[in-house]
Amino acid sequence: MAGWLEVTIDKFTFRVPSDRLFTPDGIWLQAEDGSRLRLGVTDYLQQHSGDIAFVSTRPPRTLLAREEEFAALETIKVNLSLPSPVAGTVVEVNVALETAPELVNQDPYGLGWLTVIDAASWGAGRESLLEPAAYLAVMRSQAEAEIGQP
Amino acid sequence: MTNREQRVAIVPCSGIGKPFGTVSREAAYEVCEVLRPDRTDLVALSKLVLGERDACRRVATQPAVTIDGCMLKCAATLVRLHEGTIVNEVAVLDVYRRHKDLKPEGIAELNEAGCELARVVAREIAEVVDHVPRSEDLTGADHA
Repeated sequence: MAGWLEVTIDKFTFRVPSDRLFTPDGIWLQAEDGSRLRLGVTDYLQQHSGDIAFVSTRPPRTLLAREEEFAALETIKVNLSLPSPVAGTVVEVNVALETAPELVNQDPYGLGWLTVIDAASWGAGRESLLEPAAYLAVMRSQAEAEIGQP
Repeated sequence: MTNREQRVAIVPCSGIGKPFGTVSREAAYEVCEVLRPDRTDLVALSKLVLGERDACRRVATQPAVTIDGCMLKCAATLVRLHEGTIVNEVAVLDVYRRHKDLKPEGIAELNEAGCELARVVAREIAEVVDHVPRSEDLTGADHA
């Protein structure tokens, strides 16, 4: 994995890897071979949401429209519906999360990945995605608003 | 040979304002007041934080069952800090994962599913307590 950006707000430290793109809502995308995109949630989103009880993902071969739910998380605090930032076809899901959903909390950028989507034309919507530094700024403002810091 | 009654310290988390924390405390009450009152002592986590003498003595000298509402595991961590012996470390979230239909909601007052989850947790703890020897053989032990 490439380097990290990191910010500490109050007693919380949040990490952002520099090798992928992000949505403002805390979903990361990492381009792989060809048109494959691996998706997961950010460190900030998992810490903000709390311990995860269950993960459900749309099964392989599901056709997804942009903004359609590709996964859902149930945590001790909230139920999260995660919209796909790209249109495409689900080609792989992280089956380890069926028995070990805590991987999303423990390793959100690694073993806690959620799904892989084949999205041949994802580049067309790339302007709505954030580079790591831009996401860090968005996430910082979200965290400061949550914690009540200026 | 000297024997004395072995009681188990039940230490729930103090996750005030969180349903899973409330489940942990309700389960502790169920064990200590209903299921196994003759074998258990309820220890409030806040007393360990404050260093209250009797609470600290209990977790240092009695086997303990900790019940945590989240994976920070404050109850288990604090018992270990007091050099206690944990015979079972219960995470409410793990029990919920086995009983998905029992989603706890509400804080001051749990919903019925949350109450039932607390009873499930309590029954599991009662079984653990039953496996702790009733008598502590003090022969040769380093007790005054």
